[in-house]
Amino acid sequence: MKALLLLAALAQAVAAGPQTSEERGLWMEMDEAERELKDSNFVVRDSALQTYVEGVLCRTVGTARCAQARVYLVRTPYFNASMAPNGMMQVWTGLLLRVRNEAQLAAVLAHEFAHFEGRHSLIQFREARAKTDAMAWLSFLPMGVGAIGSVGLAGGIFANSREMERAADLASIGHLKSAGYAPGEAARIWEGLRAEQDATAAARGRKSRRDRNGGFFATHPNSGNRAAYLTQAAAGAGGDDGAAAYRAAIAPWWARLIDDQIKLNDPGATDFLLGNLARDGWTAALLYARGELYRAWGRPGDLEQAVAFYREAIAAGVVPAEAHRGLGLALTRIGDEAEARAALGDYLRLKPDAGDRAIIAAMIAS
Amino acid sequence: MKRATLLAAALLCATPASAGWKLVPAGTPIAVAKSSMSVRPGEAWNRSTERPSKRGETWTLDGVALSDLSFYAAVPPGEAIFRERDKKDEPLPRVAAGMLPTDIVAAVEGSYRILLRTSLFEVEEVAPATLGGHKGVRFTYRFTTQDDEVRRRGEALAALVGGRLYLMTFDAPAIHYFDARIAAARAVMDSAVIPAASVEVTR
Amino acid sequence: MKGWLISVTLMLATSPAAAQWSSEGSATKPGFSFPPDRPARILLFRPDVKVGAQTTAGMNEPSAEWTATARDHIAHALDAAQLAQGNTVVPMPELGGTDAALLADYRALFRTVANAAIEHRLFPGARLPTRKAAFDWTLGPGIERLGAAGGGDYGLFLYTYDSYGSTGRKAAQVVGLLLGVGMTAGVHVGYAGLVDLRTGDLVWLSADVAMGGDVREPEGATKRVAQLLAGFPGRVVPSR
Repeated sequence: MKALLLLAALAQAVAAGPQTSEERGLWMEMDEAERELKDSNFVVRDSALQTYVEGVLCRTVGTARCAQARVYLVRTPYFNASMAPNGMMQVWTGLLLRVRNEAQLAAVLAHEFAHFEGRHSLIQFREARAKTDAMAWLSFLPMGVGAIGSVGLAGGIFANSREMERAADLASIGHLKSAGYAPGEAARIWEGLRAEQDATAAARGRKSRRDRNGGFFATHPNSGNRAAYLTQAAAGAGGDDGAAAYRAAIAPWWARLIDDQIKLNDPGATDFLLGNLARDGWTAALLYARGELYRAWGRPGDLEQAVAFYREAIAAGVVPAEAHRGLGLALTRIGDEAEARAALGDYLRLKPDAGDRAIIAAMIAS
Repeated sequence: MKRATLLAAALLCATPASAGWKLVPAGTPIAVAKSSMSVRPGEAWNRSTERPSKRGETWTLDGVALSDLSFYAAVPPGEAIFRERDKKDEPLPRVAAGMLPTDIVAAVEGSYRILLRTSLFEVEEVAPATLGGHKGVRFTYRFTTQDDEVRRRGEALAALVGGRLYLMTFDAPAIHYFDARIAAARAVMDSAVIPAASVEVTR
Repeated sequence: MKGWLISVTLMLATSPAAAQWSSEGSATKPGFSFPPDRPARILLFRPDVKVGAQTTAGMNEPSAEWTATARDHIAHALDAAQLAQGNTVVPMPELGGTDAALLADYRALFRTVANAAIEHRLFPGARLPTRKAAFDWTLGPGIERLGAAGGGDYGLFLYTYDSYGSTGRKAAQVVGLLLGVGMTAGVHVGYAGLVDLRTGDLVWLSADVAMGGDVREPEGATKRVAQLLAGFPGRVVPSR
């Protein structure tokens, strides 16, 4: 409630730019950060994907407003997006891997945009200063918090209070409705995250942290509450989920993003995400990815499963040459040497310039 | 300082400017990483008094962010190769008894990605090699960290000896430093000796 | 940028060697001097200037006005100082395409090299045994491309971070809250480095944790620049 009042008090057009000295200071800081971000190695420079995401933002919040934001797609395999007070919006690739359709992406973008329009960073800054809560703002100090580097400004600096998160969530539902997106998809994001955290925990033999209020979630409503009030706010409204458009847009990046995820050594979450992606059926690419995951997982029986996934993938259609490599390596571990040699030989035939050609050839020969 | 970037830096987790440096003289065999593995450097190096892990040791010519030669010796099955930042929430890949050469590469790549929180890591070439007379693997890679945005190249030599992993890595900025220092680093790696007799008795 | 900012400030603030800092605050590559026959053209890489107010709890409140003013003052003071030396300081032009990426790469590498040089050279306790003697750091000869793109002989990198104590801060003097050590009101750190754009060698480096000069005022900025340029390699021209 308090946040809503503040919102009302500050609901001037952001297009006018920073109004006060402190606000100009925040913008300056972010303009400097943006200068760095522009040249960052981590920014995904793909004009098709960029145009697509910007297009979704514009459809969601309106063409006039979206011009105030500059979207940066950042190669980071975790779920996050952020909006700085100067209009610098960051969307992490881990988020692109997790949202399942255009409506979910739109929900996140609208949520971040609502923070921007509501000048939430500024409110947060004032509150932090009022409480002399230096800890909340350590990110502004030279020592920083974690590897914020030039990009990870999301978590620490704009650790928005739960009220503001809630306000931004509800604003996003309004945007989804007026843009004709299915508003019920907003809640699906949080349901998905909860289920993913359950899967991580189960695979690691631990209790799930899904509704824990700590770490990243300390400043956010817990995912369970969030899904509940979002569902309520969206009740009765229909719309387009844009699943096919989203799949097509993300397709060129999909293999890289799933590879980034597999290498996080979080097999429970990865398996969950693959299952999600396969809700319309296991494609050859998904089966290959699952083979890679199971080959690395290391539980009894995983190698045999990996072999089965690779074989299904190869039978199902077009797969990267690496499917044969994975098959050969899994078979080697199992001890099926003849089959392993054949598969590794296939890999080298299909990818004669492979970077690991020398070691694979040596493994075939031994 | 230590957070400046490098894996060793991330691992050393040192309080700023507290790392001391000891001379590693040229031409004399020297045991590394509290193990029976020894190397004979062709030129003098500097050894950090802080370890990147309990089975590790870091050398440099220019400071770890510019040239980082690290040794990890006799890591047994079930252990992570590098020091874990958060065992519960960010567990690293483990050494396993039946690891293939390609699995060693994957474990190193996965560990770097997790510890450095980067997805910009690419393995380039992987080839058979010998480490102290034992069959092993040599591989090259490139990576970048968000902390400093410096693009780096790396080369590593690894082998499973007596069921334990021995690994040497060299990381340096792709601009100038990798090319300028790789020969010296490679000479150290190639001089490694792991006495067969001591292989099974480690600690 | 933050990576650098984080590490240097942390290091400076917490090092037990800080007392020795001022005596070791700058270093020059042995034997270096500007070519005597012609003025050197020095490319100034966009200085990192951050000025803000420190609140009671030690939080920095960035100030766009102070920063912009300081940036101007520092540029003018630099200009004046170098003109007095017979050198020309020109801003590195904005580069496009692959040159922009090259510039970003070298900025990142400079921060890393300067960081290493400061840690291992300017802090005697952290010296590398193999590098005890000479001040010998480089970005490598490949930087020539950057010199060609920008049209200069040397590159000057400059960084200042100032957080002025607010009234509340000055009263409170909260110990240990800001950087983990006892702090006076305000934080004033800076460094500057000069790179030979033909060889890539870092020919001069200066850094300080307790910079003087109020960069929000022209005279203060001049003082700061003078302090940052302490030990700047001279040509044989008497200073003003």
